[in-house]
Amino acid sequence: MRATPLTSIASLAAVALLATGCGQGLLGGGDGGDTAKTNEPIVLGMLIPQSGSEAAIGPYMSNAAQLAVDEINAKGGVLGRKLELKTADDACDAQSAAAGANKLVTEGVDVSVGGYCSGATLPTLPIFGKANIPMIIPAANSQELVDQKLKHVFLINGTGTQQAAAAEKWMTKQGAKSVALMHDNTSYSKDIALRTQALLDAPGGADTALIEAVTPKESDYSANITNVLAKKPDFVYWTGYFQEGGLIARQLRQAGYKGSIMVGDGSVSPKLVEIAGPEAAEGVYATMTQTPDTLEGAEGWIEAYKKKFGTEPGPYSNQAYDAVRLAAEAVGKAGGTDGAKVIAALEAIDGFQMFSGPLKFTPEHTLSNGGFQILVVKDGKITLQDSLK
Amino acid sequence: MTGVPDTTPEGAPEDTVRSTAADTAESTDGSATAGVARAAAPNEATGETANEAPGPARKTAEVRRRGAGRPPTRASRLLQNRWAGLAGLLLALLAPFVDATPYALSVMTSAAIFVMLAAGLNIVVGYCGLLDLGYVAFFAVGAYTSGVLATRLDLPLVATVPVVIVVTVVAGVVIGAPTLRLRSDYLAIVTLGFGEIIRITANNLDVTGGPSGIYGIPGLAGSPVAFYYLTVVVVALAVLGAARLGRSRIGRAWRFVREDEDAAEAMGVHTYRVKLAAYIAGAVWGGLAGVLFAAHLSAISPGSFTFLQSALVLMAVVLGGMGSVPGVVIGAIVISILPEILRDLADYRFFLFGVLLIAVMLLRPQGLWPARSKEVP
Repeated sequence: MRATPLTSIASLAAVALLATGCGQGLLGGGDGGDTAKTNEPIVLGMLIPQSGSEAAIGPYMSNAAQLAVDEINAKGGVLGRKLELKTADDACDAQSAAAGANKLVTEGVDVSVGGYCSGATLPTLPIFGKANIPMIIPAANSQELVDQKLKHVFLINGTGTQQAAAAEKWMTKQGAKSVALMHDNTSYSKDIALRTQALLDAPGGADTALIEAVTPKESDYSANITNVLAKKPDFVYWTGYFQEGGLIARQLRQAGYKGSIMVGDGSVSPKLVEIAGPEAAEGVYATMTQTPDTLEGAEGWIEAYKKKFGTEPGPYSNQAYDAVRLAAEAVGKAGGTDGAKVIAALEAIDGFQMFSGPLKFTPEHTLSNGGFQILVVKDGKITLQDSLK
Repeated sequence: MTGVPDTTPEGAPEDTVRSTAADTAESTDGSATAGVARAAAPNEATGETANEAPGPARKTAEVRRRGAGRPPTRASRLLQNRWAGLAGLLLALLAPFVDATPYALSVMTSAAIFVMLAAGLNIVVGYCGLLDLGYVAFFAVGAYTSGVLATRLDLPLVATVPVVIVVTVVAGVVIGAPTLRLRSDYLAIVTLGFGEIIRITANNLDVTGGPSGIYGIPGLAGSPVAFYYLTVVVVALAVLGAARLGRSRIGRAWRFVREDEDAAEAMGVHTYRVKLAAYIAGAVWGGLAGVLFAAHLSAISPGSFTFLQSALVLMAVVLGGMGSVPGVVIGAIVISILPEILRDLADYRFFLFGVLLIAVMLLRPQGLWPARSKEVP
């Protein structure tokens, strides 16, 4: 029998309407709000890169978050309810992140504790905002995230402004006269370079010799380095990532540059030393938030992490861990998962102990103390130089 | 050219067209008309059931064209059903009644926008045979134009649409005018270059927000459901428009250019102008998709307009079946929804996505729903 067009459409429609019985459709009932949720777990959602160029970071953050969740649950959870962590992939891409954020909202998360790439985190702000879900962003720290003055957005990583301030402080301390700033034209890197320049422009101290933008992922930066050295700086500050940072440090030394080199937090990785070579990397400074390696009293934490996951913690492990602890604290103080109450509790927090020190949020929901410190490469290892306290 | 019926150019088997091109100017008229008429006659007589037409000559032409001489199966008859489009639209309209969670709506809206992009690229690549590797440039131009106007001048997004159309047409002319004089590989390389130029320009201009892009773009509709329906309606109109264009006079000219540019030129088609028209049409489709994209995500940055995005749109067109409207729609839906279905696999997500795409290309090299023009034997 040949199905006529109309019967096939009608049967399609019938199938579709039958399926609406499942309850998630437009005609299905809502889930009745918060009333029946007292015994259900408190769900934390974490949007991190699990695929794409930044995929390596994902496990560092989700493992550390899981560690915090397990520790809190072992102590009986929060308000008698267990914590549960749900992760979603943002692939460091705006569209994937928007889909991932909607997925987390659909799965009923109470607090978001994710966000690594700033560009991918920006489109998720209104999605969580509409669902009245507070966001504690552990890693992404572009100024645009807080410029919108959204009530539900909190950053617990130092911002570009704070990193620039730390960089300027160290340059002045080192007696730098003429500073060359190099960035890779990505949002974060350029932001730090421009903010550092603004600070250097103030009278006294060092001056900005030039700002040089380089193209990421090249192998030869000699043209950029010639430009930089023509201005005869005595301090070079690279604000991008380690791949280029290693090459730049190496090629600067090869070109006979004798002054100081400093890199931003994106370049803090053992790979930097590997790429630059131990000789060129020796004595390179870095502006960085606290990491497990540079933290006093964190040995026990690193041990616990290693025991559970069989690997060392990495960049942003400690921020992810703190984000979960902070979320639990705020939900506990708020007495429930109501978005507005949790936001009020977060704003009221004063002196909560985190890796970066005691926490208090500024009115724009960033850390009052960025916790940036100066590291240095010594004998091929990245160690603490000055905590800038 | 008076003797040539409107439907004939692509109705002619390739060898006929070739001989036409080879002929001298004096004899072109006569032989072309004769050859074309020969090829067209049985076709017009049998209409839609041209597949079952008898005759060994027809059979060989068909085999050469499609790589399959079998009579149409039940499935392929279903594929030719002209109600398929309406059924697809109905399915899209009913989908929120099955699952209206924010996640499902977000994924479906993204898929619909991707369908529009693929429909636009299909005009350029599928109909006209111009390999464009930088199509996402127009998507970016549309998204940025509406985004910049909406956030800097506080215009509602709808008000930016006329400007977006003008800007994308200009962009299409600026990019197309010099490049469309080139052929095949060279065209691909130059479009690839323009795609990158647009992205890098957006990355370096202040008005586009530099590398962090634009955020806080107002939406087009209040709720996600309303926006989904708006998107479906706009995309349906765009797909229908592309399909109608494909069957119009200029659509036939596009396909003639695709099959044999020299022959088309010899038959009096102004190939350069026709190619530019295809390019501009594709640009406008891409730009309007960009407006929907900006409204959907509320934030755009250069990272969304990389070469990979161009490659994925091209993949949707090829996967679905070049030149086939339903095929391209299916291809776009597959390309945009598959990574979401595979989301739970985390690290293996794009690995499996790639494997599945390769499998489809090996098993159905002609595309999921290949083009079967009624005018082609």
